[in-house]
Amino acid sequence: MSLWVDKFRPRALDDLHYHEGLSARLKSLAASGDFPHMLFYGPSGAGKKTRITCTLRQLFGPGVEKLKIDQRVFLSPSKRKIEVNIVQSNFHLEITPSEAGNYDRVVIQELLKEIAQTQQVDLNAKQRFKGAAIHSPLERFCECIVDWTVVIINEADSLSRDAQAALRRTMEKYMSNMRIILCANSTSRLIAPIKSRCLLMRVAAPSDDEMQTVLTYVARRAYFDLPPEAAQEIIKDSGGNLRKAILVLEALKMQSPDLSGPLTIAKPDWETYCQKVAVLIVTEQTPARVMEIRTKFYELLSHCIPPTVILKTIAEAVVSQVDETLKAEIMHWAAFYEVRMRIGSKKIYHLEAWVVKVMSLYKQSFYQFDISEFS
Amino acid sequence: MPPRASQPAGSNGKPVKKAKASTKSKATTVKLDAAPSNSQRINPLTAFANTPPSSGKNGIPKASQQSQKSKGKEKEIFKSLVTDAEDDRLWVDIYEPTTEAELAVHVKKVQDVRRWLDEALVGGPSGKLRKYRRILALTGPAGTAKTATMRVLARELDCEILEWRNAMGESSSNPFEDDCRPDGSSYHQSYDSDQESLFSKFEAFLTRASTCQTIFADTERDTRLSSSQSSSSTHPTTRKQQIILLEDLPNILHANTQSRFHAALQGLVTSPSLNPVPIVVIVSDAGVRGEASDERLASGSWGKDRDGVLDIRTVLSKDLLHGPYVTQIGFNPIAPTLMKKALQALVSTHFSSSRAKGSAPSKEILDIIIETSNGDIRSAIMALQFSCVVEMPGSKARKMSSGSSTKQVLEAVTRREQSLHLFHLIGRVLYNKRKGDPPNPSATAKDIQRDKDLDATLKDPPKLPSYLSSHARRRSRVNVDLLYADSPIDSSLFSLYIHQNYSQFCNEVEECEGVADWLSWVDSSGGESWYQANPHRFHLLTMGTLHSLPTPVPRRSQKLFKPEFFDYLTKEKDAWDAVRDVRGWIIEDATSKEKEGWRLGGWSRAEVVTGLGGVLKARDVKQMQPQAPMSHRLFSSLTFVSGGESRGLRQLSEGDLPSDNVDLPGDDGCPRGGWSDIPDEQEGGGWLESDDIEDF
Repeated sequence: MSLWVDKFRPRALDDLHYHEGLSARLKSLAASGDFPHMLFYGPSGAGKKTRITCTLRQLFGPGVEKLKIDQRVFLSPSKRKIEVNIVQSNFHLEITPSEAGNYDRVVIQELLKEIAQTQQVDLNAKQRFKGAAIHSPLERFCECIVDWTVVIINEADSLSRDAQAALRRTMEKYMSNMRIILCANSTSRLIAPIKSRCLLMRVAAPSDDEMQTVLTYVARRAYFDLPPEAAQEIIKDSGGNLRKAILVLEALKMQSPDLSGPLTIAKPDWETYCQKVAVLIVTEQTPARVMEIRTKFYELLSHCIPPTVILKTIAEAVVSQVDETLKAEIMHWAAFYEVRMRIGSKKIYHLEAWVVKVMSLYKQSFYQFDISEFS
Repeated sequence: MPPRASQPAGSNGKPVKKAKASTKSKATTVKLDAAPSNSQRINPLTAFANTPPSSGKNGIPKASQQSQKSKGKEKEIFKSLVTDAEDDRLWVDIYEPTTEAELAVHVKKVQDVRRWLDEALVGGPSGKLRKYRRILALTGPAGTAKTATMRVLARELDCEILEWRNAMGESSSNPFEDDCRPDGSSYHQSYDSDQESLFSKFEAFLTRASTCQTIFADTERDTRLSSSQSSSSTHPTTRKQQIILLEDLPNILHANTQSRFHAALQGLVTSPSLNPVPIVVIVSDAGVRGEASDERLASGSWGKDRDGVLDIRTVLSKDLLHGPYVTQIGFNPIAPTLMKKALQALVSTHFSSSRAKGSAPSKEILDIIIETSNGDIRSAIMALQFSCVVEMPGSKARKMSSGSSTKQVLEAVTRREQSLHLFHLIGRVLYNKRKGDPPNPSATAKDIQRDKDLDATLKDPPKLPSYLSSHARRRSRVNVDLLYADSPIDSSLFSLYIHQNYSQFCNEVEECEGVADWLSWVDSSGGESWYQANPHRFHLLTMGTLHSLPTPVPRRSQKLFKPEFFDYLTKEKDAWDAVRDVRGWIIEDATSKEKEGWRLGGWSRAEVVTGLGGVLKARDVKQMQPQAPMSHRLFSSLTFVSGGESRGLRQLSEGDLPSDNVDLPGDDGCPRGGWSDIPDEQEGGGWLESDDIEDF
């Protein structure tokens, strides 16, 4: 099963639809046959991973797409087993250390050390590579000189500080036989030493026009015509997240194959749910309502919706419904409790604390407003 | 009460006596026959290992016979023996209940146990239940007559109790014991058995106790069956039924021993036996203190070794506990009325007998004893005996008005480390009683008086300057330190209970704001790593809550609920499994087919959860092939139900023990060290074994 997002993903740097400047840079980087550690960052759905993939392909040729999935087991200090899935080709290897939860440090340390200390001696792989049809002189070139492995670390911004510290050391020490590509949403959660050791690549969210181009392209690949109004509708809804836009397009196409007439964009349930919770917050401010909202939060959390996303979505929805003077306050407290949520362990407390805070702010402003009108 | 030198050691009260019995076991090999009572303690190892000498009772040295006798629980025998000698044994031993009527346990509990025993020994009315009545677990706080009930019922049902004791004193290094052995042959045998580890002895005990009995009973049954059906009714079994009693358990806290113990029980239970010996396990509840987990965090030990507490879950393995073979009966603290009756009966028997010295304790003293004993009848009887032996400061001189001083003395004597009931703990915090609160309409005069006394000891806080006037409160009646010391739960669970219930006790959102903010602050205070967790969380939360709640809290028949948190955790775990399924479904062949797009990093879980909802729903509607795993609804489908009706809220009731409902899934142990988008410390990455989240 492939979703359109995966199916019509550009495979080469030349196929990319936007950020030409970045593509050119990556191409020249790949042409040099070597590159430093890199950090790709940008909002989700902007195309970071696509660009990493394209770069690797440029560098190593199609052989990089021959993948196998390994499951590795690591032992934590308390002898707990940590299973991590590792996708690898002959040239690279990718991990998502956040899968290991708290023990990401162990995974990073063990894995990188192991890779770094093993030189690329898999002659067989090279043979196979030689046997394959080699098209460009560049690929032949790479084959001769590349004796390092690329390690891609997904969700690098969710690495714990311990893991980041471990990474920092490793990056320095094993530069000779390993390159690390980090992929993150924001650099703000990475420690400075890591940022300074990487070549930073910002992948910005596409503009509306760029998104329109991509959506039209996807529609053409899927053999149908996308009416521009529908495309606009989708783009407006997706907020710069191309992945989301393409997913919505696919869902829409499935729902109403002709895509004409008024479109109702099917939002995921959790989004509508969050909107309704926001309404609950604004309409009544009592302890009973606090309790009601708590159950809603539990419901959202038990559907695995990340608490940060919940907080953000509801905060935006609330802000759109309140008076101008309150907006800044509400966002301030959202940010405040978001930090606590990251540090603390029971997310529900912080979500609820924020709701109660907003309620009391809203209530106060409401009463003040009432009184002023009265006098 | 120092033992008098002339007295045989065996009559010095229970503990000494037991130790004696076990050290002397080699000399008393014929206990089975010699015992006047059927509920005696025997050392089955030696009892079974050594064949009884033919000489029978005559073989026993006189002293040991005396001690034998004194072990019997039958008062009559006893009285006749010791009436002339002054008896300095504890009343707890002298007046151990012998009939069901004497038990201070609620009739229904006794019935429960009796029914179980009945089913275990005979098979109940249908005769088929016997197979499943293999292990009975009696739980409850100390001093709630668990063992006494067992003994009384065994006596009434006329069966024999085989009890295991960890005989620490029994070692080959006691030459005197060996010297007085009647024959040398068994010397070696016992020497060998001493070489075994204690646990091997235990295993041997279990198998011997169960199999030896089996042989006899089986033959008996066979003959009975072969003779005729009618004869069985006319001629009941001549040999007594047996029950294995495990109270003094091997060292279960040692992981290895624990697993062997579990295996031994499991083996015993699953072994096909025609005539199984029921096993009764008695475990006294040991409360977890409020600081336990905090201190563990502070000392930096890893994760959550709840094994530190001996409770029914450590004694019986999970499979066994939830299996069909184990029945659990929990004993509650003894009700004041029942205890009063029992104590009164005891006092009257004691003072009517010739032994009595001094005068019976006054009614007030009895009341105080009952009040301070917290439902622990053992400690109550101890206190009673003490109060009769020692001249109470107020018992004669100042008959009245001496309540408080007598109480203080008694409290100092009887007070044992006891933990507050969860229900009361939460109630005490959430009702936020302060000095000078109007009494509860349902309060009794005694309660009101107590409140007044308490208020008198509380000093008024200094007046706050005007700019802090919003923080002015009357002095709280809650003693946080005491609460902390008595808390049956750790601060993390405590915070969950507060969180679940506080909003009912608030009038306005502003009050909620205070509590919610404290909860949030306490949860995140300390550092980013779990080992930096704030050690003062309990205090901060309690005081913060007390400060924020309205005063007085309006009474509108609030109900306390158990936290929903754990339901949510289980649900979330299922949902994460669903996420994994869907993720697998998406990338199933993406990696194998080359022309399909290879997606770097697959789909992260957060992306699956937040992004795929729409597509999955559309696919479901259109029934597209290939179909997504149906479990995706667990995370993708969320229907909004207006109204705050949360289903499955379980109310917290007075008898609930913290261990009944929840075990923290170690969320204290692993708050995220860094930053994560996904709350994945509880689930997901495959690093958390399922047994970490124990049955909620």
